[in-house]
Amino acid sequence: MEGLSLLFNGFINSLTTVNLVACFIGALIGTVVGVLPGLGPTATMALMLPFTLPFGATTGLIMMTGVWYGAMYGGSTTSILVNIPGEAASVVTCIDGYQMCKKGRAGAALALVAVGSFVAGTIGILGLQFFAPLLGNAALSFGPPEFLCFMVFAFVLLSNLSAEAPLKGALMIALGLFLSSVGINPMDSYPRFTFGSETLMLGIDFLPIAMGLFGISEILNIAIEKYVKPEIVKIRLRDLYPDRKEIRRSIFPMIRGSIVGFFLGLLPGPCTVISTFVSYSLERRISRTPEEFGHGAVEGVVGPESANNSAVMGSMIPLLTLGIPFAAPSAIMLAGLRMHNVEPGPMLFTTNPDVFWTFIAAMYLGNFMLLVLNLPLVGAFAKIAVIRPQILMPIISLICLVGVYSVRNSIFDVWVMIIAGVVGLFLRKWKFPIAPFIIGVVLGPTTENSLRQTLLMFKGDVSLVVERPISITFLALTAAFLAYKFIAPNFGKKFPLKIEEESKL
Amino acid sequence: MDQEADMERAPKLRLDTFCVFVLLVLGLVISIISWGYGFGRLGRPGPGLYPFFIGVAIAVFSLVILISELRSDTSRSFLDKEGAKTLVFMTLTFCLWIVAMPLLGYVVVTLLATYAFCKVMKLEGWWKPLAVSGGTTLFIYLLFDYWLYIDLPRGILG
Repeated sequence: MEGLSLLFNGFINSLTTVNLVACFIGALIGTVVGVLPGLGPTATMALMLPFTLPFGATTGLIMMTGVWYGAMYGGSTTSILVNIPGEAASVVTCIDGYQMCKKGRAGAALALVAVGSFVAGTIGILGLQFFAPLLGNAALSFGPPEFLCFMVFAFVLLSNLSAEAPLKGALMIALGLFLSSVGINPMDSYPRFTFGSETLMLGIDFLPIAMGLFGISEILNIAIEKYVKPEIVKIRLRDLYPDRKEIRRSIFPMIRGSIVGFFLGLLPGPCTVISTFVSYSLERRISRTPEEFGHGAVEGVVGPESANNSAVMGSMIPLLTLGIPFAAPSAIMLAGLRMHNVEPGPMLFTTNPDVFWTFIAAMYLGNFMLLVLNLPLVGAFAKIAVIRPQILMPIISLICLVGVYSVRNSIFDVWVMIIAGVVGLFLRKWKFPIAPFIIGVVLGPTTENSLRQTLLMFKGDVSLVVERPISITFLALTAAFLAYKFIAPNFGKKFPLKIEEESKL
Repeated sequence: MDQEADMERAPKLRLDTFCVFVLLVLGLVISIISWGYGFGRLGRPGPGLYPFFIGVAIAVFSLVILISELRSDTSRSFLDKEGAKTLVFMTLTFCLWIVAMPLLGYVVVTLLATYAFCKVMKLEGWWKPLAVSGGTTLFIYLLFDYWLYIDLPRGILG
């Protein structure tokens, strides 16, 4: 009952003009970003961070989740209509979505995807609403050793799931951890790697690095690639009605995709992308007509699209309950919350319960807004996909430049963004994953604090870590995962969840 | 196809391999500098302990990647001549905006930089780039200056 009254309060808080407008703008921009091949949700969320600063933490959180969420909705539009995924989590949708389009069922596919995303979003929010406070309470028993072991577990999984070569993922995490150690260390006020520079004393700000790595590098990537104008199929409102058979075939894939996506959202790495692949292969495996997959099976469109929406909500759980982001967009969200002086983690539910419950309520409203936006406006969104990058990229470049400068009125930050952008372009072209790097930057201070506090607690006797049940569980899981990674290839089995990071996240 | 063939014939000493080598050196440098900060004891860690291990990890990971890169034959060259030119001009435009903005003010520099970006990205004619740059500058003025009250440098021309 207490949860319901908190949720009711959340609805009252979220029904303010500012929050509703933030939710709408976030959802709209997210959908546009999802439709546009190029800029991904992570870059856009980083880009929008400065604009959330004049408002409260809740408004900022609502706006950024709206972007992430909207991108999942919008990503399917170009996958179905032009066979070009708007963002990485919509790659799988191309397979059967475009085939449905070629059969003249594009409207039905888009409508079912919008409804599926709505259902998945609602199931995801319900899951978040019930599991997050429970896990938050459980996480209250976490001390520094537990956090340290959990961090080790997360880093091992992250480096393995988000890179073509796990060592490249591990190297990127280590580089991110190093970058976060530049500046005055808050534990002993000792300046490190500052080389006498007063600017570096404050450390390297997260925002310009994120905007450079995800925004500027993507702009440069689009600039050096040749542009091919896509052809869009025209959609009329009356084409949007799926037939009875398509509706019947979509119901269970929607529910299965939502559940699979939600739980995969808890994994470190590109969870939204992984969830679509897992959902697609699950639907294909249990289908009575697997031969239809690849030729326009509606299950192959609805399942993955439901999964990626639900995964967004699942990935909010580790962020909100432990303060540990498992994916690049949630790392941006953590940085945003910190800029608003809100530290997510086990204490969030006692110190700032209004932030959590207003966010949950706003997500229900945002999910509904996205459904209303996406069904009638699908034709208009599809037209956005043909805006040439020669027009769009210069505009985004300047918004990035002015946006990052405006946060601290710092030219140094703009230099950091440009350097990160150029470095990011080369890294992604050489298949070095960027997401582990940015997560390393965000989690660096927490990792160091956990390590040093653990060492102080145990007076240097690291072996005492194994005497704590939660710590030993995480270490055992890490060891089991690594053992599986090394042993599985010898038995001719391939690790099924390894997803090569797409050019954007 | 010719372009692909050129890329396949990329020189043996690749830029990506060289960069991994640089990371290896960086890892060692981080470890050495961290040692200087004071390692402390395990029971009472100093400020250098954490970055020391991070530096060691960077060096070890880079070394293993470097060895596997040197063994592999696959080329990772992704830039043709045209792409390299675009990349250089785009980066130069970014740098010029950073240098000129505090001096000349954001309005003029933003207008010029947007025009330059449009031309580097080969937006044909002169009125389309002009319209895009004018629209972008107006949008930035309205968003940052008018609505968000952010004090952006106006410079000598502002």
